[in-house]
Amino acid sequence: MDLLEYIELVINDYTLRTITLGTAILGAVTGMLGSFAVLRKQSLLGDAISHAALPGIALAFLLTGAKESNTLLLGALISGLIGTFWIRGIITKTHLKSDTALGLILSLFFGFGILLLTFIQKQPNANQAGLDKYLFGQAATLVESDVWLMAIVTGLCLIVLLLFWKEFKILLFDKDYANTLGFNTKTIDILITSFIVLAIVLGLQTVGVVLMSAMLLAPAAAARQWTNSLSMMVFLAALFGAFSGVFGTAISATQNNLSTGPVIVIVASVFVIFSFIFSPNRGLLFRQIRFIKNRRDLELHKTLSFMFNIAKTHENISHPHTIKILNNFQGYTKGTLKKLVDKNYVTLNGNMWSLTQEGFETASNLYNQQLKKDE
Amino acid sequence: MSSAQLEIQLIASLVAIACAIPGTFLVLRKMAMISDAISHSILPGIVVGFFITQDLNSPLLIVLAALTGVITVVLVEQIQKTGLVKEDTAIGLVFPALFSIGVIMIAKNANDVHLDVDAVLLGELAFAPFDRLLISGVDVGPKSLWIIGSILVITVALLFAFFKELKLSTFDAGLAASLGFSPVIIHYGLMTVASVTTVGAFDAVGAILVVALMITPAASAYLLTTDLKKMLFLSIFFGVFSAISGYWVAHWLDASIAGSITTILGLLFLVVYLFAPSKGLIAVMYREKQQKIEVSLLTFLLHLKNHTEENERHVNHLREHINWQKIRAKTVVDLALKNNMITIDKHIVSLTEKGDDFTSQAIDYIITNEDAQIEDMKDDFFLFRG
Repeated sequence: MDLLEYIELVINDYTLRTITLGTAILGAVTGMLGSFAVLRKQSLLGDAISHAALPGIALAFLLTGAKESNTLLLGALISGLIGTFWIRGIITKTHLKSDTALGLILSLFFGFGILLLTFIQKQPNANQAGLDKYLFGQAATLVESDVWLMAIVTGLCLIVLLLFWKEFKILLFDKDYANTLGFNTKTIDILITSFIVLAIVLGLQTVGVVLMSAMLLAPAAAARQWTNSLSMMVFLAALFGAFSGVFGTAISATQNNLSTGPVIVIVASVFVIFSFIFSPNRGLLFRQIRFIKNRRDLELHKTLSFMFNIAKTHENISHPHTIKILNNFQGYTKGTLKKLVDKNYVTLNGNMWSLTQEGFETASNLYNQQLKKDE
Repeated sequence: MSSAQLEIQLIASLVAIACAIPGTFLVLRKMAMISDAISHSILPGIVVGFFITQDLNSPLLIVLAALTGVITVVLVEQIQKTGLVKEDTAIGLVFPALFSIGVIMIAKNANDVHLDVDAVLLGELAFAPFDRLLISGVDVGPKSLWIIGSILVITVALLFAFFKELKLSTFDAGLAASLGFSPVIIHYGLMTVASVTTVGAFDAVGAILVVALMITPAASAYLLTTDLKKMLFLSIFFGVFSAISGYWVAHWLDASIAGSITTILGLLFLVVYLFAPSKGLIAVMYREKQQKIEVSLLTFLLHLKNHTEENERHVNHLREHINWQKIRAKTVVDLALKNNMITIDKHIVSLTEKGDDFTSQAIDYIITNEDAQIEDMKDDFFLFRG
């Protein structure tokens, strides 16, 4: 199936269109909010919340007896929020550290959720099947109303982000300053955390409890590599998230036996790896290239400075010397010598070298920082 | 109680002990979330092992899965070392990716594999006694009992052999390194033990319960004691207690054993979190309130010491001057009276000799920036606390 055919299929086929739209919107909103989670060093909060949402789903089902997805999501939202605030309570009121608090809430809530789920399964109620789709997620069960819900939440989240942009930003980078300016940091904090919980709960149906944290983190971590500006990062993260959703759905739709959630996560991880390596400023590849270039420059300078120290002792600075005396010297290689010749700092004559006037001047100012740095 | 029930409880207790030991150190080293990461990312290792051996209980599976666990730790550290993202982000990126690979590998071969993601994550302890280990035809007990038993023996042996090194490197990595213990080796040793325990326990109790059994008993114990040995014993006790009582709750509710053990652990933690003598929520809040009143008392006494004129020391004036509510002012004045620090004569408050003494010492400490000393001083002066 080629690309055009697939696009045509996405437009015409109800299920595929719904899933593609759903995962794209989900990716965008989690990417957006994930940026805040990553910058606030709450990366693993997503993992904890998504696990903590499970007992809420089970309890909502036990109480209402219906499998209406909005009620279940409401239950998930409430239990996710309880989990989040309990985590905060543990961190602020006891000497347990954040990782312990996260692990505690994650495993305890999830275990309780499993207890409830297995309890429900034993109930004489034919309606209970399918609750476990929240564990691993099934994008195929998305219907148009789910997509609408996601779209509304995304819109709401966008409005709140734009309205409180400067508050969020200042809270993110300098909480104490925000406090002294008179912003109610507690309220802003609760607002942003609640939206993160909301986004996670929305994604449970699509990618499931386990993989939700990656949806939150991966686009944001990838976006972070390309920019230092918050607005750009949020935008890029939303873009990466949406693309992971679309590509993931496409790959899983064209292959047999591939569930969408894991594929989306793998696509998002590929984005991360690509960004880690190829981003121009922070990326590993360009960092390595810069590193090598700097080392070469340093070697060049060392050779030049060594030559300068020899030439200094002679009245005529261009007095020729044999190349041999450069041997056993760390910075010297044939390459650096050739480069020095290219730069017209040194002239070669057989196996003799001599410093030019230009080279002498550069060398004498080598460690003078005020000189322009063109080497 | 049938022998199967007894065996389930025995397996659960052994898993609890085997988890509590590395868990204590993980919690102390602030690496609790690593156990969550390992418990998820061992999935591809298990799947590959299963493809090779076609047997869920083969030792190769444990080796491969433990290897994936260690690979996770290494990957997290390598990503963190690049400085591109923080440690928690690195953890959050690595394990879902590895888990996804595992899920996809299962899905692609779903037709000829009897391996279920649910089973890996959730485990089913109830079936553990049916998988027997036969040595030359003789039934010697459930396989999982032997697996977790041998892991426990190795863990305990390592604990005894390297207790001092572990303790030192946990509390003072710098000192440990300067004394010649390699923190790296101890770190990876601990990670390997955690991986092996996770793997050994997963098919009996599931990955999530492993995380719960590692972190919760240790965290609860940490709220009760600051002594490493006591903490180890307490977490083992909590683990075993929840394992056995969780089993009976599951029996009664006819629900997942792993789930109910976790729930008991959760309740246990909740109780400790609320009622722990000095670090529990209630104790902390009580102490905060007490300190608030005592700070007010000190402010009040300082005010009295600064003002000798009678109109500044009138009871009503004090309330206006320091701007306290009626009740708070009364509490503070009562406390001061009870401790013999002030006398009230015709609505004029004056410091007693003891009150004067207390205030002068407090001022000295405040001026020399040793505010913390005031806490110790309170023990000498106060008959009643706030």
